[in-house]
Amino acid sequence: MTSLLSAISLCFIPGIITVIIFHGLWKRVHVYDSFIEGAKTGIATAVEILPFIIAIFIGIEAMVSSGAMEYLENIIGPVFEKLGIPRELTSLILLRPVSGSGSLALVERMVTTYGADSFLGNVASVMAGTCETVFYVIAVYFGATAVKKIRHSLLAGLVGYGVGVMASVWIYRLME
Amino acid sequence: MMNYIWAGMLLSGIAVAAYRGVLGSFSEGLMTSCTEGVYFVIGLAGIMAVWSGLMNIAKDSGLIDAFARLVRPMIRFLFPKERNRETIAMMLMSFSANIFGAGNSATVFALKSMVMLDEENGHSPVASDAMCMFMAANMSMIQIVPVTIVKIRSDAGSSDPGSIILPSIIVGIVSMIASIAVCKIYERKSCK
Repeated sequence: MTSLLSAISLCFIPGIITVIIFHGLWKRVHVYDSFIEGAKTGIATAVEILPFIIAIFIGIEAMVSSGAMEYLENIIGPVFEKLGIPRELTSLILLRPVSGSGSLALVERMVTTYGADSFLGNVASVMAGTCETVFYVIAVYFGATAVKKIRHSLLAGLVGYGVGVMASVWIYRLME
Repeated sequence: MMNYIWAGMLLSGIAVAAYRGVLGSFSEGLMTSCTEGVYFVIGLAGIMAVWSGLMNIAKDSGLIDAFARLVRPMIRFLFPKERNRETIAMMLMSFSANIFGAGNSATVFALKSMVMLDEENGHSPVASDAMCMFMAANMSMIQIVPVTIVKIRSDAGSSDPGSIILPSIIVGIVSMIASIAVCKIYERKSCK
């Protein structure tokens, strides 16, 4: 099952490229010129989002390297415990919405410490696999637009995140 | 909103660093992270150029049009007002790249979608319903094989690294429903 799904995932990118190129040739599109034309706009978008990426990177780094994140964990940990979320997961829950690579490193540490097949290891894996880097996504996506008022997008993201966190804990609670 | 969050992150970071006397390593971290940000975008720029180029071929050949016509009924629930075929195709590409775990490509399609939605929104400073919905759906999009996580687990000696796949999909769907519901509620509110 896993290997089949992995194979499909593996074929995703090459498959799309093949279809696009063949269809282009079939319709007599100048594929090379068309590619260059499009690639130009891609570079332009990358340059446009650069300031937003830098802003969010330093914001996150400020929280992590100063140790403010740890303080926040100590404050929030007990609240999470009341909701039935083990304390060990607090730092992951706080880190995941802001940093993809940081939270993966944390999951790596957690599965080695608690064991990959333990309750905590499983929950941490599911959490990191399903929950998104909400703040980062919002900053970067809207960075590509003229939007200043983001309306309910942050709330929608955070509600989805919270539900995802609770669901990952409960799905393993119920299986035990 | 973003103003306060960002200012809060930086200022609380500085305050805590000063209190703990780690201002030196704090500044160093800050400078390293902005360089990392640039490296990240440089990496992204390449992928972005490739996908933008390929999508341009697909646009010229009419493939995007055909694809969008095919999937429009599926996407109508989320984006009832969306008419632009190219935007629909781009958003769907972003969703599928997410599902298949092509993270960076998904970011690229998402950014392109946002640029297009921004144009349809007349570059307004207020986010449109479609933007919020797209973001909500994309943020909680499921991934059929969370490759990195499975790898981490097998490295850590898990007896069944793939055992998290089904729970992940279930959790992903539940959280996606929640996000979409929030958007739908707000859309209704703003209609009145």
